[in-house]
Amino acid sequence: MADSQLQKRLFLDIPTAFLLLFFVLPLVALVVLSFWQTENYKIVREWSTINYRTLATEKAYVTFFVRSLVMAVAVSTTLVVLSWPIAYFIVRYGGRYKLIFSLLLVIPFLSGEVLRLIALQGMLGPAGLINGALVKLGAAPLRFIMYSNVASFIALLYLYLPMVVTTVYLSLLNFDFRLASAASACGAGRLQVFTEVIWPLNLSGTLVGFMLCFVPTLSASLVPRFLGGPNGQLYGMSIAQQFGESGTWALGAAMGVVLFLFSALALVTLSFGVNLRRTGFTGLGRQ
Amino acid sequence: MQSKTPYIRIDNVSRDYGAVRALSDLTISIEKHEFIAILGPSGSGKSTLLRLIAGLDQPSTGKIFIEGRDVTDLPPHKRGIGMVFQEFLLFPHRTVRENLAFPLRMTRETPAHIAERLDWVAGVLSLTALLDRYPNQLSGGQQQRVALGRGLIANPTLLLLDEPLANLDRELRQEMEVEIRRYQKQLGIPFVYVTHNQEEALSMSDRIAVINNGRLEALGERQAIYDSPASPFVARFVGRSTRFDGVVEPDGRTVQLSNYAYAMPGISGIPARTQVDVFVKNERFHLAPFVEGEAGIPSKVADVVLRGPFLEYILETDRGERIIAVQSKRNDAAVVGDRVLLTWAAAHAHVFAKGV
Repeated sequence: MADSQLQKRLFLDIPTAFLLLFFVLPLVALVVLSFWQTENYKIVREWSTINYRTLATEKAYVTFFVRSLVMAVAVSTTLVVLSWPIAYFIVRYGGRYKLIFSLLLVIPFLSGEVLRLIALQGMLGPAGLINGALVKLGAAPLRFIMYSNVASFIALLYLYLPMVVTTVYLSLLNFDFRLASAASACGAGRLQVFTEVIWPLNLSGTLVGFMLCFVPTLSASLVPRFLGGPNGQLYGMSIAQQFGESGTWALGAAMGVVLFLFSALALVTLSFGVNLRRTGFTGLGRQ
Repeated sequence: MQSKTPYIRIDNVSRDYGAVRALSDLTISIEKHEFIAILGPSGSGKSTLLRLIAGLDQPSTGKIFIEGRDVTDLPPHKRGIGMVFQEFLLFPHRTVRENLAFPLRMTRETPAHIAERLDWVAGVLSLTALLDRYPNQLSGGQQQRVALGRGLIANPTLLLLDEPLANLDRELRQEMEVEIRRYQKQLGIPFVYVTHNQEEALSMSDRIAVINNGRLEALGERQAIYDSPASPFVARFVGRSTRFDGVVEPDGRTVQLSNYAYAMPGISGIPARTQVDVFVKNERFHLAPFVEGEAGIPSKVADVVLRGPFLEYILETDRGERIIAVQSKRNDAAVVGDRVLLTWAAAHAHVFAKGV
């Protein structure tokens, strides 16, 4: 008896302590810091909302945020559109190579984010593979892929494609394709089978993929730094600067809180906006 | 309205999967108003046949006609069929109402028409109280009725059923057997019913097609399939029977069992001295008290199993073989330990040359 009590304790208390220490506490610290100020690289413990007012009124921050938001929506949506055919193909026609195909997608992950971005710089930059070849051929280089938001967009697609493909792949892997046969035996054409059965029943998986891409993209800081160029400053990059070069930690904390709240809001909206029952989610049990 | 073309014609259909031949040269005609069972063990190709009729799969060679129209190359949704699956395959994200209305929505029927058909199907299958539930809130039998309703709602030209009762418990299954047959007679469209369960096939269908290893072993009225099997496989697979080894006597008319001193007259068409298999249905055996010198297989009653109105005698022959004989209950019934003589009428034995 005592033994199992102890086991229970270990199983519950260790993760709880871990979460409190490394998840809740830093978050609280962040919130507290966001209501203080920083002067000359020192923290001033005076409560005020000035950081938030700065964020709301300073045009640059609003621009960064809106730009990040547009970027995150565009990247996530594009990735869902790109990932579906890839994942669908692997699941339907991958046969016994399914697992290998899905592992191949993860290979770029193995090299680390910075390396992957440097590789992309090599591809997209002024003397890169694409523009270098164009110049050699006597054509004008493509300016819009050099250090621009388009370059960031391409890089983010590249970084998160494996994530979204894998989530959609897993969702489709668990999908009972006999339901698709049933639908076509019930008179549904190919498009109807997709819109009526396959898509809705994989919507929750797809949304998970969307969010797995949306949240980190919203706070992306490395990508714009490497590829964004002069007009490519994104919100996450700006946060990094507050904590780095400019030493305005309190303002950075406030930016972090805004980001956190917004991401949480997006998550909540999506999960409440989607009727899980209508996506065939069976975790609800019999009701 | 007499027409020579059958309602549905499966014409010389084969289906190969790579080197594996799932169906070979199958020809079946199905009339309107007919309930036909496709009976076969698992892996016999019976579900493949159903998928070919549904259009979920294409034959490698051969053609399929529905009402005289060649539908071989038509996709499923243009064939006007209904289908019921073993696993029901209801759409889990749709209510019963939406599941039922699905086929009508796909063909863009008017809301009024959909409502009218919904009323009809919910009434026939007693689903009215369940219309707003989701499939995972239903019992197996209820899901089965919804699946049936979804197959029937759009007035299909035929209904294909793929082992629809396999996932139900025995009692419910017997109830549904009667129900499904009643719907078929009421609607007057052919039902093609795939099953590996011979009892289902026998109790529901008008005709039975027995399939084994992708070949049509027999096709005929259910009584004929049961009483006069056309091949050793059918004899073994339909009904419960016992097999004996035998050999045709030099006179060409009598079969002598190899292991027992018992001979049966009345054989024709099998050359003398041929090794044969003799099949006898378990309920065709005749039991008599043992008398020395009489013809028959002497055996001992090892056990008696009560099966409602029938008794199952587990007999042990003098050679140690076990034979089951089914008899109706009688007062002078043998008891455990009795010595009996096992015989049967020659007409009730089905004899096939070995290795055919």
